[in-house]
Amino acid sequence: MRKLTFRLLLFILFSFSIYVVNLFFWAQFSSSILKPNLNFIIGNFGHLNTRLKEVKQYKNVDILFLGTSRAYRGFDPRIFSNQGYKTFNLGSSAQTPIQTKVLLQRYLNRLNPKIIIYEVYPSTFEFEGYESSLDLISNDKNDFNSLKMIFKLNNIKLYNTFIYSFTRELFKLDERYHEPIKKNNDYYINGGFVEKKMAYYKSNFIEKKIIKFNKVLLKSFEEIIIEIQKRNIPLILVYAPLPFNSYERYSNNDYFDFMMKSYSKYYNFNKIKPYNDSLFYDSEHLNQNGVKKFNFNLLKVLNTEDK
Amino acid sequence: MLFNSINYFIFLTIFFLIYWLLLNKKIKSQNLFIVISSYIFYSFWNWKFLSIIIFSTLIDYTSGLLIYREKRKLNKQLLLGLSILVNIGILVTFKYYNFFIDNFILISSFFGLKTNLKSLEIILPVGISFYTFQTLSYSVDIYKNKLVPTKDLIAFSAFVSFFQQLVAGPIERATNFLTQFYRKRDFNYLQVVDGLRQILWGLFKKIVIADNCSLFVDLIFNNSAQYSGSTLLLGSLFFSFQIYCDFSGYSDIAIGTSRILGFNMQQNFNYPYFSKNILEFWNRWHISLTSWFRDYIYIPLGGNKSGLLIKIRNILYVFILSGLWHGANWTFVFWGFLNSFYYVLYLFLISKLKVTFNKIQNNFLLKVKEALSISFTFTIISFTWIFFRSDSLTHAIQFISGILSFSLFTVPVFDGFNKSLLILLFIIIFTIIEWNGKKYKYAIEKTGEKWPRLFRWSFYSMLIYIIGMFTPSNELPFIYFQF
Repeated sequence: MRKLTFRLLLFILFSFSIYVVNLFFWAQFSSSILKPNLNFIIGNFGHLNTRLKEVKQYKNVDILFLGTSRAYRGFDPRIFSNQGYKTFNLGSSAQTPIQTKVLLQRYLNRLNPKIIIYEVYPSTFEFEGYESSLDLISNDKNDFNSLKMIFKLNNIKLYNTFIYSFTRELFKLDERYHEPIKKNNDYYINGGFVEKKMAYYKSNFIEKKIIKFNKVLLKSFEEIIIEIQKRNIPLILVYAPLPFNSYERYSNNDYFDFMMKSYSKYYNFNKIKPYNDSLFYDSEHLNQNGVKKFNFNLLKVLNTEDK
Repeated sequence: MLFNSINYFIFLTIFFLIYWLLLNKKIKSQNLFIVISSYIFYSFWNWKFLSIIIFSTLIDYTSGLLIYREKRKLNKQLLLGLSILVNIGILVTFKYYNFFIDNFILISSFFGLKTNLKSLEIILPVGISFYTFQTLSYSVDIYKNKLVPTKDLIAFSAFVSFFQQLVAGPIERATNFLTQFYRKRDFNYLQVVDGLRQILWGLFKKIVIADNCSLFVDLIFNNSAQYSGSTLLLGSLFFSFQIYCDFSGYSDIAIGTSRILGFNMQQNFNYPYFSKNILEFWNRWHISLTSWFRDYIYIPLGGNKSGLLIKIRNILYVFILSGLWHGANWTFVFWGFLNSFYYVLYLFLISKLKVTFNKIQNNFLLKVKEALSISFTFTIISFTWIFFRSDSLTHAIQFISGILSFSLFTVPVFDGFNKSLLILLFIIIFTIIEWNGKKYKYAIEKTGEKWPRLFRWSFYSMLIYIIGMFTPSNELPFIYFQF
């Protein structure tokens, strides 16, 4: 048994080294078809790389925004700044509570917000969360929290991308990387916002579905709420506007509202004021006109809260 | 809990450590630990169906003792009948009830009769076809005085529920396997290493070949009307490798796991795609099931000793039953029938032609003959798999008609065609490795035996790397779990 244990440990060490070396070179030189379980994309859409570089220069903000692409494309820091609020947006594409938790563990102390506005969206409680995790692994420094996140999601693509990303970090390969501020129709605005070139959404038929909460995601969400409450930071949950068809696709919106209300102060902007389709550029995201309208409405809510 | 999941490897590691470190040399404790762990393992799928395993275990344990003690033949027969009735009853209820009812309703409506019967929503308990056959053979062997029943209920429960083979075999005989639960099991370094190597090879087959083939198989079979003949042909080729690598990969993991725990299971696949004829194929494919049907159906029916017609009838029975064993669908029945047809055709017609071919002495021509025989056998077997994989007989016929169209001579077109070329390359490499290792229990048993350790370990590490890089995002269950 002793011999087996010794040899097995030696083999695991050897095999792991081969794995890491292979992964590193394979990723560098092979085409995507040969690496289906490796998805390292630095500077992916959504400007997470720039956002996470910028966050390191921020301290003590008034408002911290969290959530999906509907957050980083929905809360414009310029509008809030005009009203005297210093804000930062930590949203990322398809961010689920698992990634939100990692981001908070990394940056909450530094940002030390007076208030947190957390954009909630039914899909983020249903996603597996791989896309957002891969984005985070590829564009931020990896630490023990990344590892915990990967174990929770337990997917081979995440393990491989983590190992590869970690190796790149060791060799400091991405230190000189600079993400362009303008990519396709996206323009990065300081404070974590991404402005889309003006476009208008044409409504399409969307299949109906029911909101189902994934237990693991809900647990992470609850842990976030508890952590924020522990720190006595006021938390506002916001269901940002959707085009009418996209919102109505969920047949149990009331259930979602009920759930969110049970956690914290919650505003469903789809019920407060209607947003017509001309205020969106696609089935989920507001265009700049929509952002302005939404942000002013949100500011009204915040001002009411202050009073 | 799937064999190809991380959870299984955590489970197995914990089991292995407790089994050898804490319970070493305590055979009864090891057996009890196997039973408890196997029940936990099964509960991950559905704990409610544990009661069926326990019930089946108790019935056969008791009937085994009673059959052995009974002196009168009639009573022995009655007890055996009862055991068979209970086991088959469980199987029929869960597996075939809806099939029989649906067909009964269909036939009744054909004759203009109305019935009040309705099919039920029945969940098929995983592994039921495997463990009921295993326990059935136990009772039959005692009846035939081939086996003395055990009084050790724990050992018997471990034999029935052993987690490595509980859900998809191999269907072990008590004469070989149960006796291993009485013997002291010694930790053997070489056997453990051998077992681990077999597990690695099984994982490679399952994850890299079978699971990746399944992506294309599902796409092509589920939308067969949209594809050209060449695409459908490629789909059927992928399915041939999927089913082989899925099931033999499972068997390798099961056998390898049993080896690291000090057990020896029978070989379940002996490189069946290298068979030169259909007879050979059926001696090398799913050996534990084929031999079960031979010993408990074919021979008791008279085997090949009661004349030509009886022999043909027996072959037909065995293959059709084998088809039904796989699933309650006419596609499986026809698959069995087609195999029996090949079998009989080979026995009575083609084997006669061998006389002519046997005169060939030239080495090169012999190799050509071998290659042609293997290719021909593989082709006709792949043809039968189309029925096995299709949803219905109509679907299978449409699929075959699609292959036999002019579009067979076009380039296949489907989503992921480039990736499919990569999988084809893997299949070629895999086939070469299997060909080189075909003398051994599993293909890489002796690979690198004489290489320096660095090279051998590099080879295993490369297999692990390829598994890690080409594992499909979702853990895919084994095909034979549904049987």
